[in-house]
Amino acid sequence: MAVVNVRKRSTDMGPDLIRTRRLESWSRLGLLAPAAALLLGVFLIPLGVMLWYTFTDPNPGLENLTWYLGDPVQRNVLLRTFTTAITVTAACVVLGYPYAYAMVAAGPRLRAVLTLLVLVPFWTSLMVRTFAWIILLQDKGPVQAALSALGFGHVALIRTNLGVVIGMSQIMLPFFVLPLYAVMSNIDRRLVLASSSLGARPVTSFRRVWLPLSLPGVGAGALIVFISSLGFYVTPALLGSPNDSLISQQIFTQVNSLLLWGRGGAMGVVLLGITLVILGVLMASARILTGRQDERVE
Amino acid sequence: MRLMSTKKRRTMRGGAIAVTVTAAMVLVGCEGAPSTPVSSAAAGGEPAAVGTVAPNSLKGTTLTFVSYGGIYQDGQMKAGVTPFGAESGAKILQDGPTDNAKLKAQVMSGNVSWDVFDTTNVFTAQQCEKLFLPLDKSIVDTSKIPKGAITDKCSVPAMGYGLILVYNTKKYGANPPTGWADFYDTAKFPGKRAIEGSGDVTAGTLETALLADGVSADHMYPLDIKRALKKMSTIRDDTVFWTTGAQAQQFIESGQVDMALMWNGRAYSGVKNGAPFAPVWNQWMPEADTIAVPKGVKDPAASFALINYYLGAQQQAKLTELTSYSPVNVDSKPKMDDLLKSFLTSAPERSADVFKLDISWWAQHRDDIVSAYTSWLAG
Repeated sequence: MAVVNVRKRSTDMGPDLIRTRRLESWSRLGLLAPAAALLLGVFLIPLGVMLWYTFTDPNPGLENLTWYLGDPVQRNVLLRTFTTAITVTAACVVLGYPYAYAMVAAGPRLRAVLTLLVLVPFWTSLMVRTFAWIILLQDKGPVQAALSALGFGHVALIRTNLGVVIGMSQIMLPFFVLPLYAVMSNIDRRLVLASSSLGARPVTSFRRVWLPLSLPGVGAGALIVFISSLGFYVTPALLGSPNDSLISQQIFTQVNSLLLWGRGGAMGVVLLGITLVILGVLMASARILTGRQDERVE
Repeated sequence: MRLMSTKKRRTMRGGAIAVTVTAAMVLVGCEGAPSTPVSSAAAGGEPAAVGTVAPNSLKGTTLTFVSYGGIYQDGQMKAGVTPFGAESGAKILQDGPTDNAKLKAQVMSGNVSWDVFDTTNVFTAQQCEKLFLPLDKSIVDTSKIPKGAITDKCSVPAMGYGLILVYNTKKYGANPPTGWADFYDTAKFPGKRAIEGSGDVTAGTLETALLADGVSADHMYPLDIKRALKKMSTIRDDTVFWTTGAQAQQFIESGQVDMALMWNGRAYSGVKNGAPFAPVWNQWMPEADTIAVPKGVKDPAASFALINYYLGAQQQAKLTELTSYSPVNVDSKPKMDDLLKSFLTSAPERSADVFKLDISWWAQHRDDIVSAYTSWLAG
């Protein structure tokens, strides 16, 4: 809506105003330059090199891609990578949503404590947290001891996909809670009051008012978690077993052990391609959803 | 000769002189090339004496030594590399951990900053003359290296170790496993096993399965990779995989496994920390890291001079005392306690039990093995 307004206004602008606008946009581009240079240097050029290797190393052609897509084990690993990322995202949503809500609903002192509880692990090194999880989840470790005391018997945690999901969820949780909290704290809570004054029960006003307004935060958080989870290396390598290896570990084998950079590149290209497709679909469906909401509001 | 005319004999002698002169000129010419003055000086005259370097012959040279880090690299630095710098005057830097992909990137870009590189013997054998320079034997004296320990033309062993079977002495008590067949027999020897779980698996791992499956040592090569993996699948449900030596050690120390196929040095450290484990030396697999000089280093002669110094008897003895790896100089006399002796691959009685591992076969088929093993692990 805002964009449309600006455009309409710009047609009414005098030449001077247009010039200032143009200058502004140039200076805006100038502000972007350092970040753009950085992106070009450390992201786009290496990405181009990766693409180049994919289609040229060791021979020009599609052999790396056909190898990758034709290998049933590699397809399994790819599938496992996506299911792991989806499971981690779901775990973050289930655990993070009530937590973010509690942060918004709490009084200032409790909120400070809750925020700190999210931020302290966020500030702790990934390696440290992963090693902490090894100690917690290992055979005869505290978590297993607690589970068997509760009568669950021997539950394998370390060196299983479950262990990987537990560790990754904890590591990714702040990335979900923080954007969601930012969105939730901006929701006008009088809207909830208004809905209940109009006769909505708490469940209904949550479902019809609070939930839709918080969804952009859920979307942003879930997307960060999902995309980051696809590329996790250290945590699955340490908490998981080679039985349950994810794509990053397979890429490592191709690139570092076999020095087959073309194959490693092909795996990266496929991962990137699928991720972009998923992103596109999600964004399109989000646009459709929000569009429908706008209609409803109007 | 007696039938030859004097003239003819003279001509021949003349020819011989000419050849000698030319050879001398060529040699002198070589000496004049930018890198070689260092070589003769660094090696302390020819032939090179192992473990020595001419004092202050490498002033102004900087060498970067690259290895796997941890206790191992610390030991290498203390035993051989740092003293080499002190004697030769070369400035020594170290880097790590060993990263074969980074090395390839350096060699390909022509910007090589790693002068002496410690890696696996399979890798140097596979990449000899591709990523590594052939060993300059006019600088490196290989005469004291144990017989059969040199596995390719570009490297020397950096130390020796072994892939061995260790078992929990409490669990198996009076009836311990005695060989690979027992390791792969979970009916007779129930209990958790540990096997290496990185795709770039230690040479010899597949051989243990084939030996257990009844393949005789004489008919091991070419390796039947499929058959080996099939045999390994039979114990898979009872197996946990280690991806670093430290992890294998942790498995035996915490009692998470009852038998392990692991490196002797790590087993020794675990037992020293109280793990109730003992080694089985029957058909143990001899392993070694190798050190080599990458193609494109600024001063190959200086790099080779470092390797020659590193191989000295005293240096190797100290390395063993610091790291529990075996020395690769037959004159080395490291001080060691009985426990270390029982875990060291260089003890005299070991040679009767050793399996004859074919590193060059592994090097030739490395890509197939790594691919197959990686797929098996992930499958």
